[in-house]
Amino acid sequence: MNWVARGLVIAGTLILAVIFGRYEHSPTPAYEGRYIKLSRVGELMRSWQGPWSCVLDTQTNLVWENKTDDESIHDALWTFSWYQDDKGVKNSGDCYFEPDRCDTSDLIMRMNQEKTCGISNWRLPTSKELSSLIFNIPRTGEAKIANDFFSHTKRGDYWSSDADIPLQGVYAHLKTGAIAIDFIEGKPRAIPYRNAAFVRLVSSNISIHTTDLKKQ
Amino acid sequence: MHNNKALWGVLHFLAIISVFVSLLTGLRIAVLDHDYLLIFSHFLPQGELHSLHIFSACVFTLCALFYAYWRLLGQVYSLSKLKTRNFSIRYHLIVTYVLYVVTFLSCISGWLLFAENISFDKSLILFIHYASAIGFILYLALHAGAWLIELGLRIFNRLLSPLKQIKRSAALVIVVIITVPLFWIVMKATSSHVLVVNTINVDQYIQIDGIADESFWEQALPQTIFTHGGANFEDGATPITIKALQNGNELFMHVEWQDATESLRHLPLVKTDSGWRVQQNGFHHFAETKYYEDKLAIILSENCEFGAAGTAHLGPRPLKDKPKHWTGLGYHYSETDVVDLWHWKAVRTNHMRLMDDNYIGKPDIVREGARRYKAGYKTDARESGAYKMNWKWYSPNGVVPKRLPFNNEWLAPYQSDGNIQEAEIPWVLPWFDGEAYSSLKDNLPIGTVLPSILYTSNQFEGDRAHVRAYAQWQDGKWSLELFRKLNTGSDKDVALRDGLCLWVAAFDHAQIAHTRHVRPIKLRFKP
Repeated sequence: MNWVARGLVIAGTLILAVIFGRYEHSPTPAYEGRYIKLSRVGELMRSWQGPWSCVLDTQTNLVWENKTDDESIHDALWTFSWYQDDKGVKNSGDCYFEPDRCDTSDLIMRMNQEKTCGISNWRLPTSKELSSLIFNIPRTGEAKIANDFFSHTKRGDYWSSDADIPLQGVYAHLKTGAIAIDFIEGKPRAIPYRNAAFVRLVSSNISIHTTDLKKQ
Repeated sequence: MHNNKALWGVLHFLAIISVFVSLLTGLRIAVLDHDYLLIFSHFLPQGELHSLHIFSACVFTLCALFYAYWRLLGQVYSLSKLKTRNFSIRYHLIVTYVLYVVTFLSCISGWLLFAENISFDKSLILFIHYASAIGFILYLALHAGAWLIELGLRIFNRLLSPLKQIKRSAALVIVVIITVPLFWIVMKATSSHVLVVNTINVDQYIQIDGIADESFWEQALPQTIFTHGGANFEDGATPITIKALQNGNELFMHVEWQDATESLRHLPLVKTDSGWRVQQNGFHHFAETKYYEDKLAIILSENCEFGAAGTAHLGPRPLKDKPKHWTGLGYHYSETDVVDLWHWKAVRTNHMRLMDDNYIGKPDIVREGARRYKAGYKTDARESGAYKMNWKWYSPNGVVPKRLPFNNEWLAPYQSDGNIQEAEIPWVLPWFDGEAYSSLKDNLPIGTVLPSILYTSNQFEGDRAHVRAYAQWQDGKWSLELFRKLNTGSDKDVALRDGLCLWVAAFDHAQIAHTRHVRPIKLRFKP
């Protein structure tokens, strides 16, 4: 190979390298994750879109209410006493959307009336269902849940539907209560119906086709 | 030993390696100032490169000095000693003068930058250092390119054959090989800036008001650091002056830096005929450089490694299994210890009289719903209190505010088109001075400007509130006073003690484009 050929090879290699190496810096979201956001009317949304009203868990096929900070019925600050089917304690939580104070049946009724995410069979989750949301690597100091999907989740107790649970210790004299999941430690514990705890409602038996999202 | 070719071979070999490492790491570092260099990103190394760059600079400088010394003594091989002067030799002799010039400029400018002394014109030095790097590339094309064209792959034999005679000059080679690590160790041990921390009595009172008018401050020895590479500052640079005091329980600092403008317009919302929009020119990609508050960050660590305790990992993807950085500049993270990070923000934390107590830890996991991956940069936990952005969800195409003030008159000072002193209005809407947004109640006129920051309480509580601070801007300078307990007991904080290293960075209405310096500032507690 003579020096002209060598020079051409070297120059060509450098030019190809620069063309090949051109930098692109557009991070792209993953669409195939466990959770999918749903709009107010139940439309599928991508993981970097918002605001969203519900979250579909593709592992359990449950749809969860997303909490807010907008003083609507979904505001994450509202607390509720446990009450449904004439069991529990009425109106011992705090919210702005009821003339009296609040209990779990108020939120269920209001969300079914609103048809949040197009759904009208909202209910309290079982402790097993609620525990399925526990995520042990949250951001520092935040609730043990996938913080980017379940925004505004408080570090505190969230009611489950598991009732008639014998109470112990200082609550023993109240006899029975319901299971709440503590999203600080990520553990269940029985607390009295009268306690003001947070609520995240759930819906099952829904059919949402996640393939629609992939086609977008 | 006259015209010792083995010695030339060793020096040349070390020079080749150190020049390549210096150029590649230096160009990656230069991306912070010249983002057009990202087109070469695939060819540049990623990760923690400051120490490597400085080490390779040490090796190259020593090679140059040894060569110059032995050349003067006539003890090293040189083309100029050759009796035959064909075209090729004459060409390379001429090209060698390019090498002499760029070596001199590169070494002098590099070590002046490393000195971080404020008495030099840093912008000129930065330019010379960058230009000499380009000069080196030109030299390599003229020198190595020409040899490669002339000899092809035989060039490697030409380079390596002198090393076969290494035994003949073993003593000199050993001197070179021993000097390099010795120089590095001594340089690292002595390269810190020193910040003397005077001791005051525990009952002496300092008002954290941004005005260092207490008498103890006059006796505190200032340390001024030249920082550069930040957006919007004049020539991207600002000197930062720090004084420190301690009383056995708490450490106090007074930090002052030049910033021609007081910037408080932090991503303001403006009402348009198609709804509310956020004013921004780079926020969508997490690199706002126009509508952003001024900030100052202090990093504190037991680790005194160059480049923010070794936490600065450059490149679009220094972590192979993690997302690319949006701007391609890099991430802060620590492979081992927790590194403390105090972040003062002119709007978001100044009215809380706090710095945001953050930390740099191990790289975070990838969180599917998070559009921005922050690697090791994390906030300490808080018990309560927060600032929030006044939009339900950010989109460059429009937003819905979370809250509007009860009374439209409250917004009047914000409609001044900049005719009002920035400091006269807080650019913060207290949460309970407003109500939840409703389109039915939104009767504000088109063009209305609305602050983007909501305070849900007057300050953080808990770990995130450990650093009390307040700053005032006057006559082109920010003056910040702060204090923190020497030991908070939090595993997300670093205990403040003699010998601890820190770094400072200023932001002039820029989200991430901060100034920087390489060498640590070491706290020296004085009894």
